[in-house]
Amino acid sequence: MTNGDYYQLLKLLAPEWTVVGTVLAILFADLQFWRNRSVAWRSAGAASILSLGFAAAAGLLIWKRAVTADLLGGTLVLSPTSQYVKLALLGLAIVTAWLCTEGEFTKHVGEFVALIALATAGMMFLVSTENLLMVFVALELVSLSLYVMTAFNKRSPRSAEAALKYFLFGGMAAAFTLFGFSFLYGLTGSIHLPTIAAKISWHAGDPLTLVAIVLVVAGFGFKIAAVPFHLWAPDAYEGAPAPAAAFIASGSKVASFFVLGKLLSVGLPGVGGSGAWKAFSPGWLAVVAILATASMIFGNLAALAQSSLRRLLAYSAIAHAGYALLAIIGGSQPALLYYAITYAVTSVGIFGVVAVVENRTGNEDIAGLAGLRERSFLLSVALSVFVLSLAGVPPLAGFFGKFYAFAAAAKLGSSLGYWWLVALALGASCVSLFYYLQVLKQVWVAPVPEGQGKVAGGWVVSILLALLALAVLVTGAAPELLIRFLK
Amino acid sequence: MTPLHGYLFVSALLFAVGLAGALTRRNAILVLVGVELMLNAANLNFLAFWRYGPNPEALTGVMFVLFAIAVAAAEAAVGLALVIAIYRHYRSSNVDEAATMKG
Amino acid sequence: MPALTDLLFYGFAGLALLFGFLCVANPLSRNPVTSAMFLVLTICSLAGLFVLLNAFFLAAVQVLVYAGAVMVLFLFVIMLLDLKEEERRKLNKVALGAGTVAVAVIAGILIRAVTSAKPAADKLVEGTTKPLGRILFTEYLLPFEILSLLLLVAMVGVILLSKKELK
Repeated sequence: MTNGDYYQLLKLLAPEWTVVGTVLAILFADLQFWRNRSVAWRSAGAASILSLGFAAAAGLLIWKRAVTADLLGGTLVLSPTSQYVKLALLGLAIVTAWLCTEGEFTKHVGEFVALIALATAGMMFLVSTENLLMVFVALELVSLSLYVMTAFNKRSPRSAEAALKYFLFGGMAAAFTLFGFSFLYGLTGSIHLPTIAAKISWHAGDPLTLVAIVLVVAGFGFKIAAVPFHLWAPDAYEGAPAPAAAFIASGSKVASFFVLGKLLSVGLPGVGGSGAWKAFSPGWLAVVAILATASMIFGNLAALAQSSLRRLLAYSAIAHAGYALLAIIGGSQPALLYYAITYAVTSVGIFGVVAVVENRTGNEDIAGLAGLRERSFLLSVALSVFVLSLAGVPPLAGFFGKFYAFAAAAKLGSSLGYWWLVALALGASCVSLFYYLQVLKQVWVAPVPEGQGKVAGGWVVSILLALLALAVLVTGAAPELLIRFLK
Repeated sequence: MTPLHGYLFVSALLFAVGLAGALTRRNAILVLVGVELMLNAANLNFLAFWRYGPNPEALTGVMFVLFAIAVAAAEAAVGLALVIAIYRHYRSSNVDEAATMKG
Repeated sequence: MPALTDLLFYGFAGLALLFGFLCVANPLSRNPVTSAMFLVLTICSLAGLFVLLNAFFLAAVQVLVYAGAVMVLFLFVIMLLDLKEEERRKLNKVALGAGTVAVAVIAGILIRAVTSAKPAADKLVEGTTKPLGRILFTEYLLPFEILSLLLLVAMVGVILLSKKELK
């Protein structure tokens, strides 16, 4: 490695360094100048710095969007797709940062916003690598930031409890991932995904290969909250401060799905086995098919029984992880990314509405949304768009996300071997309509409770929520607008 | 049994012991101890595969373990801070006493 | 002398497993401090195995970072919180049986899988410090830099979480 290589590394990673610089700027400004300001002022200030820095990073990404690079043994692999995914991550982080202005859950907002930015940096590194070591380190950077963010509300016992559960499950998942990676390294002598792909097919059917696959998929199954590694999700969604929950549900999901899809399709293409009907053979396709089945069934059934809005969202997230796994099975990266990005936009939007409503009413139940139509028309419309998109109603983005994911799985293999999975997914989507409509019923039909006034968020949050709802509508009405960037 | 198998055998057992500890202990600190054992088992795997692997000159396994140790240390620090945070609220670091959320 | 290294391997491996077992399930004591001390011993036995694998630098790091820094942190927190002996969990026989079976199955699968691994050539390379340092700052520069971000997150997080909120 010469000086020129160092310079190239610096140049190619300019957006990431901008993000890291933003972190330092936020910490410095908050510590140095804003100590005596109100929390509301400081959160708005920190979110503004983050927005400016991330806008600059986004500008750099768009400027160099046509880049392709493969440096240092797959440590840094850039492609136009990875650049667009990073753009999406930056956008999600900006919205999350502004959610901090809704409700005072901590006095240390500067550090909280800085952690959002650090987690974003981790996600950006995560999507631009094909090296197991980088995947592990970046994944831990994201996870640690999210654990700390979850515990940030120090007055709330539930926040600490949620974080502890998230951390303990996460720590075990990290150990599983690391153990799985060690077997992959042992089998192939390499931690570079394309090299692994070239060598692992010699070991197809080897029990060690299967163990490695199960361990790695289990580790990532935790990140995407797939059954049976989902136990942390309902508690984390319920106990975490709203922006932390929003980021766990959006940015972290996008990055994890992207890297899981890449790991399986780039790193382990030869050992997929099969999950087709009556033609089961061991391999990651079979493992992922089992996870997807369990997630879709369990997530939807458990969601039916929830009265807390956040727990409902958690179980719906578990079900959605199941649907998105179908896109991984189908091996279609555009379908997976379209699904993950539109889903993330939708859930960050829902958590935005949840944050505003909880902050103004203090009620966390679905019943707390009663009569929202009278109390805030904007929030009602935005929430309806998001919820209907999650339910998969055309022409919203959620419908096309499901359509592409299911179609990818259906097309795989000969004679529609995965029809059983697609049929199950369609059935599960129908069941899910029931609980999504319960939410909308509260908003549009239930009577307005006595003595409840208007509900309104800050103007920036309102504008962002309106933009998110618009994005869900537009990417749904014209999916080509988004999907052509992801090919 | 070749030396490689010996090491892999030990690390598989250590991993299982750590997993059993992480799943059965009530105290969050002891769950964390179990996780540390699991991570150490993975490290032993990496080194064994490096030593008896096809190209040890690349030092890949050693580097991975070096990073894994650093990450595990950071993780342990955050975990212990979370235990302190939990203790402030519940006067206990037991996982099943801090279980107010259900559903 | 192959016989000596074999003996050392069996010694360290046996100790690591024994101490590891005592650290999660000690029949004599349920005190968290005992568990932590047995973790120190496990880690030191593992460092012995690392030496047998020619990873001298990592053996030193293992003792310094794990047995030194991380375990001090564990003990510090255990003593700060003044944790008493963990009460015995009301033994749920079904759960315990299911757990034991699950872990035994996992161990069995792992061991069966492991014995299928194909042994490779035995080339002697030493994991000494100089080449490690060289590739750490060339090939592995990027993960190294990210590690610094990771430590920043840990630092900010730990200070915030463990500090008493000033009212």
